[in-house]
Amino acid sequence: MSNRVYTVDALIKRGYRTKSTVGLLNGCVAALFLVFALMLPLLAFYGLVPIETVNMAGRYLAFGIVAMGLDLIWGYTGILSLCQSLFFALGGYAMGMYLAHHGNLFGPNGIPEALYVVYPYAIGESKGMEVLPWFWMPFKSFNLTLLLGMLIPGLLAGVIGFFGFISRVRGVYFAILTQALTVAAWMFFSQNNMKFCGTNGLTHFKTIAGHSLREDPVKLALYGATLASLVGVYVLCSLLVRSRFGRVLVAIRDSEVTLRFTGYQPFAYKTAIFALSGAIAGLAGLLYTPQASIVTPSYMEARWSILMVVWVAVGGRGSLGGAVLGALLVNLLYNTLTSQHTVLGVTWKPDYWQFVVGLLFVFVVLVLPGGLVSLWKKYTERIAVET
Amino acid sequence: MTQTSEQATGGYSLESPTVNALWSRKYLLFLHNVTAVFDGFTALDIDDIGIRHNELRVVIGPNGAGKSTLCDVITGKTRPTTGSVYFDGEEITRLSDAEIVRRGIGRKFQTPALFDSLTVYENMELSLPGPKGIFSALFATRRKVEQDRIMALLERVKLADNVNTEARFLSHGQRQWLAISTLILSDPRLLLIDEPAAGLTDAETELTAELLLELRDKHTLIVIEHDMDFVRQLDSPVTVLCDGKVMTEGTMDEVRRNEEVIEAYLGR
Amino acid sequence: MCIRQISRCVAAASVFFMLAATASLGDPLAELLRGLAQEDGEARAATLQSLVATGDERLETILEDYRRGSLYSWNDQIVFGIDLIEDDDLNEFVRIGDVFSHEPLLDAAIPLEDILVLEPNGAERRRVTRAKTLLGLSARQKIRRRAAVRKIGTQTNRTAALEKLQHLAETDGDRIVRFAAAESSAMIKFRSQDETVQREAAEALGRLRSVRARSLLEEAVRREDVTAPLRDSIETALARIRGRERLIATYDIVKSGISSGSVLVLMALGLAIIFGMMGVINMAHGEMMMIGSYATYATQLLFKHTPEHPVNSYYIFALPLAFCASALVAGLIEYLVVRRLYKRPLESLLATYGIGLIMIQTIRSIFGDNRPSNSPSWLQGALEFLPGLTLPYNRLFILMLCFACVLGVSALFRYTSLGLKMRATLQNRDMAAAMGINTRMVDSVTFMTGGGLAGVAGYALTTIGGITPDMGQNYIVDSFLVVVTGGVGNIAGVVCSGFGLGLLNKVLEGTLFGAVWAKIIMLLIVIAFIQYKPSGLFAPKGRLADE
Repeated sequence: MSNRVYTVDALIKRGYRTKSTVGLLNGCVAALFLVFALMLPLLAFYGLVPIETVNMAGRYLAFGIVAMGLDLIWGYTGILSLCQSLFFALGGYAMGMYLAHHGNLFGPNGIPEALYVVYPYAIGESKGMEVLPWFWMPFKSFNLTLLLGMLIPGLLAGVIGFFGFISRVRGVYFAILTQALTVAAWMFFSQNNMKFCGTNGLTHFKTIAGHSLREDPVKLALYGATLASLVGVYVLCSLLVRSRFGRVLVAIRDSEVTLRFTGYQPFAYKTAIFALSGAIAGLAGLLYTPQASIVTPSYMEARWSILMVVWVAVGGRGSLGGAVLGALLVNLLYNTLTSQHTVLGVTWKPDYWQFVVGLLFVFVVLVLPGGLVSLWKKYTERIAVET
Repeated sequence: MTQTSEQATGGYSLESPTVNALWSRKYLLFLHNVTAVFDGFTALDIDDIGIRHNELRVVIGPNGAGKSTLCDVITGKTRPTTGSVYFDGEEITRLSDAEIVRRGIGRKFQTPALFDSLTVYENMELSLPGPKGIFSALFATRRKVEQDRIMALLERVKLADNVNTEARFLSHGQRQWLAISTLILSDPRLLLIDEPAAGLTDAETELTAELLLELRDKHTLIVIEHDMDFVRQLDSPVTVLCDGKVMTEGTMDEVRRNEEVIEAYLGR
Repeated sequence: MCIRQISRCVAAASVFFMLAATASLGDPLAELLRGLAQEDGEARAATLQSLVATGDERLETILEDYRRGSLYSWNDQIVFGIDLIEDDDLNEFVRIGDVFSHEPLLDAAIPLEDILVLEPNGAERRRVTRAKTLLGLSARQKIRRRAAVRKIGTQTNRTAALEKLQHLAETDGDRIVRFAAAESSAMIKFRSQDETVQREAAEALGRLRSVRARSLLEEAVRREDVTAPLRDSIETALARIRGRERLIATYDIVKSGISSGSVLVLMALGLAIIFGMMGVINMAHGEMMMIGSYATYATQLLFKHTPEHPVNSYYIFALPLAFCASALVAGLIEYLVVRRLYKRPLESLLATYGIGLIMIQTIRSIFGDNRPSNSPSWLQGALEFLPGLTLPYNRLFILMLCFACVLGVSALFRYTSLGLKMRATLQNRDMAAAMGINTRMVDSVTFMTGGGLAGVAGYALTTIGGITPDMGQNYIVDSFLVVVTGGVGNIAGVVCSGFGLGLLNKVLEGTLFGAVWAKIIMLLIVIAFIQYKPSGLFAPKGRLADE
């Protein structure tokens, strides 16, 4: 056996000890990312970068957080959830209601401006008799908002998962059901008389925790909070996927039936991970809303939930870093391609973004199923084996 | 009402000393009057099958004889249409598949079922006996005793070099052995092994046979097999299934002389 | 003889030309119309009466123009004002047209000072409306007759028209006109002061179960001066009418349920076949449907079909075209993308969704948003079983189309050799391939058939609503729910669950909840159903179930 000459691929296949070198390379990339991410507010502080760029980066980092949650459930566990945008929007609405409470208030009962504008009067009710709906009450408190913004989507995901997984709804069936739920939620929130401000969504935000949202330091702080959450979620998820729990998740993806015959209850694991991914999406929504200063039901539209899947697919499913990378890259691309450019006399119209995103879907599935990370992985493993 | 309860217990009352004594004293696994019907097609129709403690029983039969359905019924993957399955003195007919595994029935599938993107070691790790809940999985650590057990088993099936190889890169024989190893590691009281020799080379088949014979001392096994040479190597009692029914039982030699069996295997 | 013919032609043409040029000269109606320009209000009223007495059909539009104030008096002649033009100095001009045909009379516009606007006052306008209604009673087209007969029942002081109505109720050729005439005459009688007449009328309305009369009767029963016997007969009549209304409401729910179910079945049929056979989730299925709609629209443009000048034959040609267009697009997608994604449903879901986006944007770039569709005139209108119980022809057509497609696909599966190959591939792809079936070809044909069926759905949908590039998105999720509930690759299951879900949705929507809650509850029911039957209504059993 010792005389055989192995090709690099064979070595990788045989689990040749490449881990430490690959880990080092990955660590370098992560450090580079962190340095860049920390530099950004600093540059903005000295006026070298417009504050809007930091704000935009903050929003995209929030998308990165959702992507990690989605990667847990889809990349690792192999369950395609088209519900993540719903969980994201629920977190967003929680924060939106908090922010609305702390903007302008109208009427004797102190109705937030956003709700006051589109207040749906019941029969017999008239102007001046607006009552704050009970479900708006808890969101006056900042801490409670943070808690509920993660708890509600987490619990909803838990309930959906419980009923879906206990009856072994699998694969495409689960994807379709979650998609349908998202559509239903979208309809629900779009209705004025549900007192979530209908299609207008929640706007007219003024302050957060006593500070004006207009001020630059607040914007920088929001960016910082998002970055810190991203790192925190990344660490948490990494620990999770490296534990035996994580291995059970991969086992579910590979063969659920086998896992059942090994004595595990995949159902419990799936429900737990789905609830966690829901809570993570909720956290992202909490962070996103004050930076976007609006939240509308459009985040629950079908296209969003599928677009989120594409972020993860582009970056590389089954890799947390890949998920974040994908979310950032696709959104940067979106940002570049949805403004009008003229290059060499050819005009690029924002409408064409639809073509790009459509092709992106096809390309990722057909050509690069492992995402960008798979290219990187191949490259680093080769380096590791050769050195 | 009376009809169904009679069917469920095969005409006996559960308290009846005859049946009760029968399965709890003699047999680890006992199937009584089990039928499985799919869309009017009777895949399985068994009066009685009993497996004694520490017995190695081989089940053979032509294609479509109901061997896989038998496994499915025992492991709870398929619910029998009528009849009951008793394991170690308790009825397990209506239990969920995971619960049946927890009671101590392990199964190796026809095509070895592994977790392809986990390494050999990780595949073994998941099969360790012990609590399998969410929290124990979250805080599980690698214990020395367990590591040693895993490595010893992997040595035995010549997989020790491949601990860090992802299972999808293994050869077919290695997969069969890994599947059997994970099953052994989980320490079930009854092992159901579906076609362990399918697609193996002669040398590999021999190692597999040795492995199974070693197991006989501590475990009870049901081996389902096609390969007659392999069955002869096992040198154990044989049950022949045909058209979902038990055709005959006996030693390999007896079975080979049985006219009916020859007819069933060669006659069509 | 030849010369005589030519000269006759020339004569006819010149007469026609003269008529067109000088418009209404010599027409007795035009002479009468001139009376509308008189100063004296009573004289105008008399003119109106004599106009109605002629019973001329053309009056309908003229009176409507008069009521709206679009008629002018110019050169002692009544003309139609086409539009008002304002020049830079804010001087107003009127372009005038023939009072009958609205064709422009002059190239130039006339200054507003030189022309007299006929502006009827409020009382006069009401009179004109009533006159129009009366005219409508003897209209030749039954649609207009129906409208007029219905209208007259809601007007007060119409006892003079009773005789005409009675005549219509007995002799008119149209069933609905007869019914409405009886109804209206009872309503007119009910407004009289004589209590016996009122009671008789109320009883008649009850017998007719006249839904139209409900508010009239309810108003009457609320009045305090109603005597006990009259109140009794009104209450009895109202009870009967409310019973009929409940029937109509139930019928409407069932009708809309079945009709939305038939669209769902058309969509889900293709989806189910594709998913069952290839394990591919085709998210672009809605867009294939959209292609079918646009193909129909393109055919309509090609045939120059407009509501004013219907070329109904376009709709017949559009069916195969819609099918082929969608099938071709489907074939292209299958060849380029889908054939690499067999048995990878999740990946295929993503890729086909992307294709869907591309298709939407392509169509949007070519055709733009929101195209109007004009269904052929024979699909307008409705079957009326009983007054109020109607079945629009377009819904009936879609239902029949749906059944035809289901039967067609079943026949394809059961009786053709292609169908046999399809079934074989569905059950065991490898075995089928081993037996020499070109499974690639079978897949291709299956995908195209599925796409074509979606195209047919799109073709049918043009009769219901407008055409937009993203119309498919509204149907795709519901269609998938149908497939999930019905069981994969199973035609009977799809038909049952399609109609079942369509009905369920409308029942929930129509009885207890609004559209949103209905949707949410329906979804919960589907989820609950899947708990109970994870593989759908008609689940495969045995070894097939393992997949």
